[in-house]
Amino acid sequence: MSASYLMKRVGYGLLLMLGVVILNFLLIRLAPGDPAVVIAGEMGGATEEMLESIREEYGLNKPLLTQLWIYVSGVVRFDLGQSFFFNQPVTTLIAQRILPTILLVITAQILSILLGVFLGVIASRKPGGVVSAFVSVFATIGYAVPVFWTGIMLIILFASILPIFPVEGMLSVKLRDANIFVQALDVLHHLVLPAFTLAIIYLAQYARLGRASMLEVLGSDYIRTARAKGASERSVLFKHALRNAALPILTVAGLQFGNLISGALLVETVFNWPGMGRLAFDSILRRDYPTIMGVLFFASFMVVVANILTDMSYRWADPRLRGKS
Amino acid sequence: MAPLLCIEKLRVTFRTRYGEVTALDSISMHVNEGETLGVVGESGCGKSITALATMGLIPSPPGRIADGSIQLAGEELIGANSARLRKLRGGDIAMIFQEPMTSLNPVFTVGDQIAEAITLHQNVSADRAFTDAVALLDRVGIPSPDRRARDYPHQLSGGMRQRVMIAMAVSCRPKVLIADEPTTALDVTVQAQIFDLLNEIQRDFGAAIILITHDMGAISEMADRVAVMYAGRVIEEGSADSILDQPQHPYARGLIDCIPTLGRAERTLKEIPGVVPPLHLLGAGCAFAERCAFNDRARCTTEKPRLIDHGHHPAACHGVEESRL
Repeated sequence: MSASYLMKRVGYGLLLMLGVVILNFLLIRLAPGDPAVVIAGEMGGATEEMLESIREEYGLNKPLLTQLWIYVSGVVRFDLGQSFFFNQPVTTLIAQRILPTILLVITAQILSILLGVFLGVIASRKPGGVVSAFVSVFATIGYAVPVFWTGIMLIILFASILPIFPVEGMLSVKLRDANIFVQALDVLHHLVLPAFTLAIIYLAQYARLGRASMLEVLGSDYIRTARAKGASERSVLFKHALRNAALPILTVAGLQFGNLISGALLVETVFNWPGMGRLAFDSILRRDYPTIMGVLFFASFMVVVANILTDMSYRWADPRLRGKS
Repeated sequence: MAPLLCIEKLRVTFRTRYGEVTALDSISMHVNEGETLGVVGESGCGKSITALATMGLIPSPPGRIADGSIQLAGEELIGANSARLRKLRGGDIAMIFQEPMTSLNPVFTVGDQIAEAITLHQNVSADRAFTDAVALLDRVGIPSPDRRARDYPHQLSGGMRQRVMIAMAVSCRPKVLIADEPTTALDVTVQAQIFDLLNEIQRDFGAAIILITHDMGAISEMADRVAVMYAGRVIEEGSADSILDQPQHPYARGLIDCIPTLGRAERTLKEIPGVVPPLHLLGAGCAFAERCAFNDRARCTTEKPRLIDHGHHPAACHGVEESRL
């Protein structure tokens, strides 16, 4: 994998981010509604004078292109503007919430890939067997059920009926002053239900994809070669077959990352997880333009990074792609 | 001296949508130490199934060894436990497949794939196995083996890949080497090189070779003895010279007539009319009767001919038996 290829991908990624920033800006301005009215409403009444001074203060009365220029040149300097509603720099708002979201999304992604692929491999061993049937049914249900419903059901089951996990939040209040190790354990404890809720949709997909892809690979000539040289069944499955079957799973995992982030938004709302999802929800309700754009900026940033990483891991996994661009 | 590998009355059946179909119908053949047995016949006659059965690699289900015995140096292979079979596969019996393009795992280097075969059967370190793999690549005539060992299969030509397969197969000095149409996918000049290599390997390593092919030219060049198969049965068996000079069964004669002769002005190549009948449609009579020019006796369609020696070497034909051909 060449460094120049990586540079090229990063270059494309930056261009894409610029496009995303401009498009976000324009789309949000196109939406009906006036933020000045909302802000004025929060302040307890809207006279025309007041609206005008709010517009003046936030630069909303400047021509659209000028506003765009101010915004883009700010983004380049990592200044995402000032939140209308929270009255704090957007960067600060996001910095406070990005880690919980990343923790949730990455955990869910790893969980769904590992468990999904494992189930898929097991199912491919006996295509007509019980595990295989379970994977198919589970995949259909997991994919069909809305994520917030799964979340609520898990809360009822594992936080209410069987109080094993906490209902909401990320850290117990009583542990605010505890040492970092105890806090980390508590965060993990809080993480279980939201991560599973988010993982279930994708887990089901990876299981099904893994099963199909393993079945195809297991029928190929090189698997017969592996058996002919006396490799054990486990080595055939997990070394010879899985590495090949993983290629389509990697592709889908990369493409799904964006969906995973939007799924995280819902899950965070259900579990009151203090991440960007909650921030996005609040800022959309309040027409807090800079915050919405900041959240979208970071979400698309994570997707672009995830895509580059997917591409790189794809090249690592499939030597036939190396040396091509 | 008892033969090295002895197949006795082997019957293999497959479950298909037409019911249970007999792919191998009580076939017997053997190969002695250092000898090359050629197995010839059209596609679908059971050559490859014989090879896979010997390797213990019949896909099951749908396949099943219904009856018979396969003995390697006196040890019964049918019913042997899977750990023992794994030990033998790649160790005492090795196999080279038809399709070098797809028989190597695309995501591992060829050196690693050969080294794996070595570490599976010999108690050596990974480094030592890789060094041995490089030496084997050198032995099978791959230039700059040091560098090539680190290449992936897609970086090698078809002929080179087949050399890699051969290196892998002989890596543990097998007693029996099964070559299933090793040159079918290669062009003619490369075919000759591969046969030369197999001859050399046999000289150096003293392995018995079972050469499965439909190429009578390859048979005349390589084989000491020949078994001709048709529709899951051995229909003629004898020394290569005897069969090539005096084929008995009309099918064997047909096969030999099909060899184009250099210098003779033939405008069209000879062929045997018709195709091998589907196995589920085989009747009570001789499977070749429909395509046979000498099927004028009632027995041909009502009674399966047995493999009987009629002077030159055994053949299964009512016509030969009645000495009317």
